[in-house]
Amino acid sequence: MVDLAIGLILVALAIGALLSSTLFGSLTLFFAFGMLMAVAWARLHAPDLALAEAAIGAGLTGALLFNALNKSPPEVIKERLRHPLSVALVCAAILALLVVSLLPSLDQVSPLPPMVGPRMDASGVDYPVTAVLLNFRGWDTLLEIAVLLLALLGVKVLLPTHTPAPQPWSLLLGWSKTLAPVIVVVGGYLLWRGSRGAGGAFQAGALLAAGAVMLRLNHVLPEIRWSQLLLRISVLIGLATFLTVAIATASFGDGWLTYPSAYSKALILAIETTATISIAATLTLLVEGEGDELQS
Amino acid sequence: MNYALASLAIPFTVALLTLLLQRRSEANPIVPAITVLATAVSLVFAGLALETQAVSGAVSHLNVGGWDSPLAIRLRLTPLKALLLGFVALIHLLTGLYAWRAKPKIARDYWPLSALLHTSLAALILSADIFNLYVTLELLSLSAVALVCLSGPKAYTPALYYLLLSLGASLCYLMGVAVIYGQYGVLDMTVLAGIMEADHSTRFALLLMTAGLMLKGALWPLHLWLPEAHTYAPTPVSALLSGLVVKGPLFILWQLWNNLAPEALAREMGPLFAAGGVVALVSGGWSAFRAPFIKTLVAYSTVAQLGYALMGLGLLLFLQERIYAVALWLFVLAHGLAKVSMFLAAGEMQTLLGSKRVTAMRGATQTIPITMSAFAIAGISLIGMPPTGGFLAKWSLLEPLFTQANHWPWASGVLLGTFVSAAYVFRAIALGFYQAPMSREPRHFDRVSQWLALLPALLVGLMAFAGQDLIAWMAGVTQT
Repeated sequence: MVDLAIGLILVALAIGALLSSTLFGSLTLFFAFGMLMAVAWARLHAPDLALAEAAIGAGLTGALLFNALNKSPPEVIKERLRHPLSVALVCAAILALLVVSLLPSLDQVSPLPPMVGPRMDASGVDYPVTAVLLNFRGWDTLLEIAVLLLALLGVKVLLPTHTPAPQPWSLLLGWSKTLAPVIVVVGGYLLWRGSRGAGGAFQAGALLAAGAVMLRLNHVLPEIRWSQLLLRISVLIGLATFLTVAIATASFGDGWLTYPSAYSKALILAIETTATISIAATLTLLVEGEGDELQS
Repeated sequence: MNYALASLAIPFTVALLTLLLQRRSEANPIVPAITVLATAVSLVFAGLALETQAVSGAVSHLNVGGWDSPLAIRLRLTPLKALLLGFVALIHLLTGLYAWRAKPKIARDYWPLSALLHTSLAALILSADIFNLYVTLELLSLSAVALVCLSGPKAYTPALYYLLLSLGASLCYLMGVAVIYGQYGVLDMTVLAGIMEADHSTRFALLLMTAGLMLKGALWPLHLWLPEAHTYAPTPVSALLSGLVVKGPLFILWQLWNNLAPEALAREMGPLFAAGGVVALVSGGWSAFRAPFIKTLVAYSTVAQLGYALMGLGLLLFLQERIYAVALWLFVLAHGLAKVSMFLAAGEMQTLLGSKRVTAMRGATQTIPITMSAFAIAGISLIGMPPTGGFLAKWSLLEPLFTQANHWPWASGVLLGTFVSAAYVFRAIALGFYQAPMSREPRHFDRVSQWLALLPALLVGLMAFAGQDLIAWMAGVTQT
């Protein structure tokens, strides 16, 4: 019953987000859609996806979209979906075909998940999702971190313009100062928890970024600039560590990203920690980085 | 395999290093030097990989992380993949040298972005895992879009279309991967190759993936984003986009239909690809003929030339003869080199002649002979006239078609494409032989960048002298 309600509300929110008369309304509904989607993932016993969806899908994407809306000229804000009916028909057709072709696979069992269990001892962590992300399919994750870096570089190339943030009200200021240490602690916990349960670099990084963005909006953090070595190091260190591990294992070890079993826990922890720093720095810059900050 | 991984890891490291070296707003002069040097080293490693693979003739596999199949992501190195790694590094080297000399100076973000582009292409070539390929496709498209944006605000609209279409294409590909994973439970291409069946779900998955890849590879009829994006990008970027970026998805498409798809489905799909190729040749060629600007002409010619590649793929699937694979990959190599030359020449002309219009090429043989020769030699290779690499490729496509009478429609398609290519190339070259206008002297005349534009054209010309040997060697290389 609850699931049915969540499903129906999700569809309603999606339709509302597409057809809303203002972009602001669309974004608000999209944000709500993301939060409810996180609940849906949690109901489906996928806590990792739920955390990621809440932090990145709803939180960060929402912040990025509101930021973009704030910078858009008025004629863009009035823009609405054209030909909603034909778009809906095309999407419905693709969806129908997709469902029909996925139906026969409902009773198929993939040989991959059973393979994970027996190899957990050798993986260096106790949580299967983290083992898949950082060890069994670590190469995908390495490249995904590079995708995040490229997203930042893409924004950097675009020279986003500076829009002054409004003066913070005192309540927000007070709250953000109280929340900041809590966010750091929770972020650290999420990172650490990744080895045993749902959590990990992406979730922790997104949370830390949210905290940093909040502090930036309230003018608590000092100015950040691309020319600061420390900032560039924070953005690059995750990828650099991962790549160093890959090159080192290929040159001196058993092969590309083959962790020596005695060190796999330490290596995964090092990669996760540095990746958290990089993800937090990159996401903060994506939301808050502006023309001058990214260029000089 | 370690040589190939070195060829991948070097540009990756350099990308991070060049970002770290960005200190102030002005460019760091050692960054281009480092990048170009590293590209050269990466080329050497790709060459070593090719030598090892071609000598042993073997296929090597590497399970990333040392896990057993099908759990691990598998990297696969074949002689063709080693050759393509070298090709990617070579094109990057040529365009990198040009970008180093370019005036006005290219934006400093060009260097890390092009190094990341190099990395993503190398990762794409090596991967044998359909989900990992999706990640490399994402990397490829994002770096390509960011590179287009380097031209400044005038390029933002084409770049935005490119980004949106490319995201749509990624989504199509990903849905196809999801269906295949649902059906067979594995992502490893070498495992999938043996177990795929010609049922409804597989067919739909392959079609979704094909649509996504054709959109990313700008294969007719999904090419509409290409001319604008390639025209507005900075010159070295246009060369990279036309020479390499559209070939990445093509390579996946080739693996998908040649290795994975059940033969019955592949045979069904062949004529469609081949017919699409013929239409691309004619319609792309016609648009190139009508193009008002030099770079637009060159960009539409990419649409047309990809038609040859699509034809090669279609005929390979349809007739199941290895020689078409040779034709396909010879086309990719010859077109890549010729297109780099042509775009660099077009960029030089824009700076030297002070106009973007094709009509500005009037008298170019007298004012800028070296650049004009680059354009002309590259053009001759695109038409497929001897003695060029383009001729070799077309010859390997046509020769088997001529031997059987019932293949005449395909043969005439190729010939029709040749006429249209000749039309747009000679329209530009002929203008160059007019009397030069008496007006101003060309501004900042840089002999080195003109020769850099000519170099790839000379290379593609040299390919012809290897002739039959090259075709025979390619037949060995494309075996696996």
